[in-house]
Amino acid sequence: MSARLNLWLGLALVVTIAGLIASGSSYFVQIAITTMIFVILSASLNLITGSAGLLSLGHAAFFGVGAYVAALLATRYGWSFWTTLPAAAMASALVGVVVAMPTMRLTSIYFSVATLGIGEMIYVTLLNWVGLTRGPMGIRSIPGIELFGWKGIECQLVVTAAVMLGVLWLVHRLVHSYYGNSLRALREDDACADAMGIDTGRLKLQSFGVACAMAGAAGALFAHTTGYISPDSFRFGESILILSMIVVGGLGSLYGSIIGAVILSVLPELLRDLGSYRMIAVGVVLFLSILFLPRGLVGEVSALDLIRRQMRHRLQRRPEAGAW
Amino acid sequence: MVSETPPLLALRGLTRRFGGLVAVQDVDADIHRGELVGLIGPNGAGKTTLFNLISGVTAPSAGTVMFEGQPLAGLRPYQVARLGIGRTFQNLRVFPNMTVFDNVSVGAIRDSGLRDALRPGSPAHLRHIGEVSREMLAKVGLLAQADELAANLSYGKRKMLEIARALAGRPRLLILDEPAAGLNDSETLELSRFIEQLRAEGLTILLVEHDMGLVMRICSRVMVLAFGRKIADAEPAVVRADPAVLDAYLGTGDDE
Repeated sequence: MSARLNLWLGLALVVTIAGLIASGSSYFVQIAITTMIFVILSASLNLITGSAGLLSLGHAAFFGVGAYVAALLATRYGWSFWTTLPAAAMASALVGVVVAMPTMRLTSIYFSVATLGIGEMIYVTLLNWVGLTRGPMGIRSIPGIELFGWKGIECQLVVTAAVMLGVLWLVHRLVHSYYGNSLRALREDDACADAMGIDTGRLKLQSFGVACAMAGAAGALFAHTTGYISPDSFRFGESILILSMIVVGGLGSLYGSIIGAVILSVLPELLRDLGSYRMIAVGVVLFLSILFLPRGLVGEVSALDLIRRQMRHRLQRRPEAGAW
Repeated sequence: MVSETPPLLALRGLTRRFGGLVAVQDVDADIHRGELVGLIGPNGAGKTTLFNLISGVTAPSAGTVMFEGQPLAGLRPYQVARLGIGRTFQNLRVFPNMTVFDNVSVGAIRDSGLRDALRPGSPAHLRHIGEVSREMLAKVGLLAQADELAANLSYGKRKMLEIARALAGRPRLLILDEPAAGLNDSETLELSRFIEQLRAEGLTILLVEHDMGLVMRICSRVMVLAFGRKIADAEPAVVRADPAVLDAYLGTGDDE
């Protein structure tokens, strides 16, 4: 069933891309690119939050690190997208691992609060380190993506789709393996996973690093496809938007990541006539989803359950405080 | 009971304090290969703390735990598990949103890294995880439900699943924390047969139980904890007649 579904999804992607290129509408192409970037972000966040149960509230910041690394390397040193992409992924993974190292000892809800803080720290750094990032003015004239002399928005669309497929394949492999089982064990009960012989500290750090690398790659795509970035794109609100995508789509499900990202990227565009009220739609969708679809559209755990369990774990995993 | 070979597990002067409370005090104990040892004691006697000291969840305030002659001091629970000590939990802790098969596989995964997940095909050690998991599921009679979510199993079956998960790590010492708690009579009987079967296959087992009956029936030796101290360590018949044990369970009349 899964193979057939993948085939249909792949076909839909090809048809959409062909249709967009044929239509020649740069507006629709831009929406498609943004949507695919959000698919990468939600799939990577779903790896750590949906599968491994690490509720990260700072994912957009790692997206930002990737975007700034790519933008700076491209505008100052003339690097092309093909070199800034791996550099951005590696830089985000490195920043993610280094700043997350002390927080990995924190469990459950404290980890979430720490990622929120880290996210804000990165945002404030991007905003105030004017010498490097030009602060609120942002970085302009980031060169577009070029593939063997082919450039322009169609090229960017195809390259973004290719990177997205690569990330989806990677997440798919990670989740559908024994590695994925150990991630899920971490989510279900990390103290128990520890007692079963799983090095939970290392696993958390590793999966967090991988997810940050993917967010960094999404950042490079974002920088090169929009040509302009500023700190505002990487704020807390964006992290929450990505989180909403996986909650609506379904925690722990790759298809959920895709559906959630598509719905919450496209919906605000469809409602453009409503002006800034349209962002309320995102909230309404999230609210209705939690109310009526606790597991999202196709998720394997309920979002409220995940949070509730994390709160409870805090009490459970201190044997000193419990029964003796 | 006395064996010439060094013990599989040796506790020496094991003590754990929580603030002013001494949960486990100066416990010496040996468990030899192939033994099925019961650990009993009234509520709050320190059974679970002793359990946590052995499995690395809690660090001792004093004393040592030696497994196969190697001290376990400073090891984290996953390291203790990898050395060959498998455990179950008093309050059932299966992974509810995972399938029965995936639950058991977690016990065997150990260190299946990132690279394994990305490599095409399946290397021998990954196939081994699958084989061991299926073998253990067959052993506890859950193979038919391998693809069901663990949350959908009955309580008794989840208990067996937890044991299968511990067995999937191929432990040389299995510690069971109140496996019979919450089981009905027929399930308890089935469980005790299963534990005896494991022992017959050569597995060394430490059984922590609240229920005297089960322990007295199947264990070759019984240790009794009361107020953190070991007050008895002998064959079931001897322990049953021990006045100190009767005291600990029934009280002397003054307290409570």
